[in-house]
Amino acid sequence: MSISSTKENCLEIQNLKKYFEIKAGFLKKPNILKAVDDVSFSIARGETMGLVGESGCGKTTIGRTVLKLYEPTDGKILYCGEDITNLDDKQMISYRKKIQMIFQDPYTSLDPRMNVAHIIAEPIRFMHLMEGKDIMDRVRELVELVGLKQDHLNRYPHEFSGGQRQRIGIARALAAEPEFIVCDEPISALDVSIQAQIINILEDLQSKFNFTYLFISHDLAMVRHISNQVGVMYLGNLVEYAEVEELYENMMHPYTKALISAEPAADPDKAEASQRIVLQGDVPSPINPAPGCPFRSRCQYAKEICGSVKSDLKKINDKHYVACHLFE
Amino acid sequence: MSDTNTDNNVLLDVKNLYTGFTTDDGLVKAVRGISIHVNQGESLGIVGESGCGKSVSMLSIMHLLADNAILKADAVTFGGEDLLHKSVKEMRKYQGNEISMIFQDPMTSLNPLFTIGEQITNPLMRHKKMGKRAALEKAAQVLDQVGIPDPQKRLKQYPHELSGGMRQRVMIAIAICCDPRLLIADEPTTALDVTIQAQILELMQKMKEEYKMSLILITHDLGVIASMCSRVVVMYGGLIMEEGPLRDIFYRTGHPYTLGLLESIPKHDKQRLVPIYGTPPDLLNPPKGCPFAARCKFAMKLCQEHLPQLTEIGEGHRSACWLHNPSVKAKRGEVKLS
Repeated sequence: MSISSTKENCLEIQNLKKYFEIKAGFLKKPNILKAVDDVSFSIARGETMGLVGESGCGKTTIGRTVLKLYEPTDGKILYCGEDITNLDDKQMISYRKKIQMIFQDPYTSLDPRMNVAHIIAEPIRFMHLMEGKDIMDRVRELVELVGLKQDHLNRYPHEFSGGQRQRIGIARALAAEPEFIVCDEPISALDVSIQAQIINILEDLQSKFNFTYLFISHDLAMVRHISNQVGVMYLGNLVEYAEVEELYENMMHPYTKALISAEPAADPDKAEASQRIVLQGDVPSPINPAPGCPFRSRCQYAKEICGSVKSDLKKINDKHYVACHLFE
Repeated sequence: MSDTNTDNNVLLDVKNLYTGFTTDDGLVKAVRGISIHVNQGESLGIVGESGCGKSVSMLSIMHLLADNAILKADAVTFGGEDLLHKSVKEMRKYQGNEISMIFQDPMTSLNPLFTIGEQITNPLMRHKKMGKRAALEKAAQVLDQVGIPDPQKRLKQYPHELSGGMRQRVMIAIAICCDPRLLIADEPTTALDVTIQAQILELMQKMKEEYKMSLILITHDLGVIASMCSRVVVMYGGLIMEEGPLRDIFYRTGHPYTLGLLESIPKHDKQRLVPIYGTPPDLLNPPKGCPFAARCKFAMKLCQEHLPQLTEIGEGHRSACWLHNPSVKAKRGEVKLS
């Protein structure tokens, strides 16, 4: 199964798998943690794909594998049609310029011993993109782009608030002039009033530079706001994938329904009217998962077949794919 | 301050609370004169950004502050009794007994060295003078009530053997096992996934009804407030900006800060978000006037110089904003906020 759009793909992953071995003991066979299990999707240039799911579902692992911070176990990663799956670190450098990342925690992702100018200039120096005086000119330009001031350049990360630090992180990601940016929970550590500031910056940058985003988040309302397509993940599997409005208006997978209904609406009338689907139990362990549908242990519609056969993503229409035996 | 405070229905009444922390840089004025009351059986929500004083004000009431804290208030009464002048020893009779607290992070607020059973029986043996066996029996019963399967087995386990959602259930079990009259939940679901959050919120609602508790829910999530609370207090910069019944806060908003919070939430229509620009004030040197003035789109010169007082703008609905002042209204006309 491959999901492909008619538009020019910026990034495509095909049957991506990332397994981690967990040592069980001396001479014992290691346990396998299937963090990402056979996931395929593509993102068109200039668009945003949102990836949602609970903690431990493999969202971040996908983000990191796409950047080749993790070596994929199996499957393919295509960047602008070129296979980058098996490139070594040296060959990857030219792609790392184009693919950058914004991290979740602005408190730990900036080096406390570097000032802002150094932090932002580091990728430029490391990749030899510019020399001498040009570097500082570029840094000044970047600081301006993310809404910080020139006199912030000589300060250190601890002097900034969470929202300002996240701006520094964005400026650093922009330094290499990327085309594709993995945003790994860029707003979840921030206060509500600051979240909107960061989202607006990301949107402005996208319309200015035609960036492509992979937006990883558990904030469903924000994902709906910023994304063109949304993928829903559960226990390493992509269970539903659709155009954003199609997904939120016409969700099909029982997990997607539960996930979206669980988010409380910030509106007393809607909160009172809404029927919340409360899932029982916890997400099962991804270590040596049982065969069949990963969601069946919490699914109220689970049938016999769900316990033995895992459903593949099936096309419902051009804009909508779902992996569930209910729709076969 | 208001006449609703004087009737017998009030469980917790806090008048003019100030909390500060002495640090090397000076006095951090975390809470700067707030009055809060909770009625019997009521769910009060306290919203605000990090550092606005929501948690500190509750910890002040419970006498759970660090040694460098300075506390001052006109009165703190609980069920008619004064809490403000209680000694550490006298307060222990209340902590975990009449007033219980659930903390934000279930990963760090349970003691990793004691079993779940030891941690639940501790308050039962201390406050209810139960024997060990009776306490264990009650503990198993409470664990069952909070939806933990196989309670007998769990009693013997350590916190690291449980998931985040399970640990938060254990926290709730510890908090409710002595039948408290007031439960203070400080961001009880912030560290949890939405599906687990839904479970915990449902459980808290059920427990509140079953035990006829009053609830104070501290959160920054307006969605949680909308589905759990009947009255809301909005805090900013150590002060109360607005308070009132749930629907008044959401639909007849009386303060620009509350409006800013509501506008920052995406509305499903892909319209550009309206953030609150700037950052919260530094509580080492809080501004002389309204703490929100620097970020407020309606701010006037007056706001920077004088602190507005909470004024009644509807039944039980108060807002601390100069826009509601009669002479400002006469000059500027009515400003529509909601």
